This record gives sequence, structure tokens and C-alpha cells, in this order.
Amino acid sequence: MRRHTRRIFNICYRFTGNRTEAEDLSQDVFLRVYRTLGSYRSAHGGFATWATSVTRNLLIDHYRRTKRDRITDSLDDKMPVVENKESAGRRPDEQALLGELSMQVQSALTRLSPELREAVILRDLQQLEYAEIQTVLAVPAGTVKSRINRGRIELARILQQMGVRPA
Amino acid sequence: MTWTCDLVEARLSDYLEGLLQGPERAAFEAHANSCADCAPLVASVRSMVGGMHAMEELETPPRLVYAILDKTLGPRETVTGWQGFLNAIRGLTTPKFAYGAASVLATLIILVSASGFSLRKPKLADLQPAAIYHKADQQAHLVFARSVKYVSDLRVVYEIQSRLRQDENNLQTTPEEMLPKSSPEKIPGQTDDHKPSQPRQQNRANEISRQLEMLAAEFPVLRERSVR
Repeated sequence: MRRHTRRIFNICYRFTGNRTEAEDLSQDVFLRVYRTLGSYRSAHGGFATWATSVTRNLLIDHYRRTKRDRITDSLDDKMPVVENKESAGRRPDEQALLGELSMQVQSALTRLSPELREAVILRDLQQLEYAEIQTVLAVPAGTVKSRINRGRIELARILQQMGVRPA
Repeated sequence: MTWTCDLVEARLSDYLEGLLQGPERAAFEAHANSCADCAPLVASVRSMVGGMHAMEELETPPRLVYAILDKTLGPRETVTGWQGFLNAIRGLTTPKFAYGAASVLATLIILVSASGFSLRKPKLADLQPAAIYHKADQQAHLVFARSVKYVSDLRVVYEIQSRLRQDENNLQTTPEEMLPKSSPEKIPGQTDDHKPSQPRQQNRANEISRQLEMLAAEFPVLRERSVR
């Protein structure tokens, strides 16, 4: 239970970039898993893969639901300084918890499209295999590879724009 | 095949994950090292992916697990006041709790009595560690001595019983015909049978003979009458 909670919370946090939202979404994920447990079949892969799939679907739903709010926010603040925006509203213990790179990557991730973002999170942060990602995203293998590749390149360019130089 | 920037970009993840082999890999590296646009891109993506793999997962907030349990299994009932007190009392009346409490009480009584503490006349001095140790030591020695005596007594009892049993067996195995037959010529204390008499019978006969001799010495009249 705790292992799955941690994994799902991390996926939610990396996708949304907001701790409170990630906690709420994690609760919703477990509620949906609890309610739809009867529909789980081993053909979906392992339980972890199935739970990740449920998480992903919920995150996409949440993204679509909150899209209007984000557009309004971006109109209010057309030239956001990413570091400042990320620092705002975050507790000191969160600041200490996240390393510098982690914060920069997290900032960049939120600027990726949701398709590329989820692919990069599953591959490079959750370190899932390509076949597992294919099951979770329910797309062909070529699409998975393409999204991961484009997501990495896009993320690296965003980081370059933020002034992060390769180590 | 000539590698373009677009092709390098498209196969970048394959290269980083070691899926390009032999000539393909060499051609990729040749372009990436010589191209002013591709070289920094490859370096930055490689660095970023390495950094992301090294990033640790965030710890789960402690309240999250309880919140999930509340949301899925329902909130835990928190009863306060008299109802809570009654619920607590009700929990104490279960057979399991009574059995556990009785076991603990019995253990405590055994330990207290073994330490020599008198429940009828409790004294504060008895609770000092030195006194408890002294009394426990005394009790242990007493128990040991009693055990040794008990075992020793048992051995004596068994020995007596086995002797008695042996004597009874000896008496039962002596047949009627083996008893001494009376005969006018026989010497007192001896049988006229061919078989030698039993040692105990022989001893008794010798004893009677000796007593008769002593009587004859004391009373000569008897001796004369017997000669006559």
C-alpha cells in the first residue's frame, strides 16, 4: 500500500507540479482503483501497471478539466519567471527536499505538452520499460518511442532556455 | 547513408539507450561531433536524462495514507464521552482479555512468591533489590534441597519395596515337599532328604540346638533324664 502510494503520489506530483493537487489526485486514484478493482485482469499487466494506467487517465482528465484555469493564469502573467513561479506557494521543507536539478526539471516538465510529459515521466522518472509504458498509454510502440524522444529533446531545450547548462 | 540533423534528432534516444550498433552508431557520432547544432543538443539531453535517473522519489506525506484509507474504506468512527468509555469497558469483558489478565496475574503471583515477598504482611524493606535477591536465592536453595530429599526418599522406598517383593517371591517358590520331613533318626535342624536344607532353616536349627545345649549345661537334671 505504502509503496504504491509513494509511486502514484510521485507521478501525480511530477505531472501537476503542485503538492496539494498531487495529494488530492492520489486519493482520487486510490478511490477509483478501489471501485474498479473488479475490472482488473492480469491481461492488463501487473497491478502496478494497471494502477499507473488508472493514474494516467485521471491525470489527463484533470488536465483537461483545469485547462481553462491555466489559460486564465497565463494571460494574467504572460512572462512568468519559472523559478519564481515554482518557488511561490511552496513550503521551505519542499524547497529543501527538492534539489536544484529536481526543481529545474520540475519547472520544465510543467511546460511540456501532457502527451510528452507523461511519456518522459514514466520513462525517465519512474523508469518503466517501453512495453509497460505502451500498456499504460495504450498507444503503439512506435508512438511511445517517438513521444519519449521528442519529450526529452523538448525538455532539454526548455532547460537551455531557463539557463541550465549540461553538467 | 548521410546523417542529417533531423535524423540525429529522431534517433537520439536510441543512441543514448545503446540501441544503435556498429556503422549506425559511428555515423551518428560522426555527425553529432561535427555539427554545431547537434553536439550541444546531444550533450544536454544526455546530461538531463542522467540527472533524471539519479533523482530520488519524494516521500509520501504521512497524512496521505490515512486520507486514502478514509476515502476508500470510510472514515474511522471516533466515539467520545460516556459512549467511548462504555465501549472501552465492553472490550475488557471479552473472554480473551479475561484469559490474558488471569495469565498475567498468575505469573505475577508466582514471581512475587518466588521473590519471598509476603502478601499477607507486606513490608517496604522486602521490595529492596538486595532483599529480593537474598530471598529468591534462599527459596531456590530450599526448593533444590527439598527436591534432592524427595528423590532420595523415593529411592529408599523403592529399595524397601523391592526387598520385600524379593522375599515374598522366595517364600512362594519354596514347595511343600522341599520342607524337612520328620524322622526318628534325624538330627535336629537337619532333614533326612538328599537335598540340603535352606540356609535360613539351617540357621534356625543351629540356633535351637545351641539353646538346648545351654539349657542342659544350666540344668544337669534335664541332662540325666535325657540320658536315661
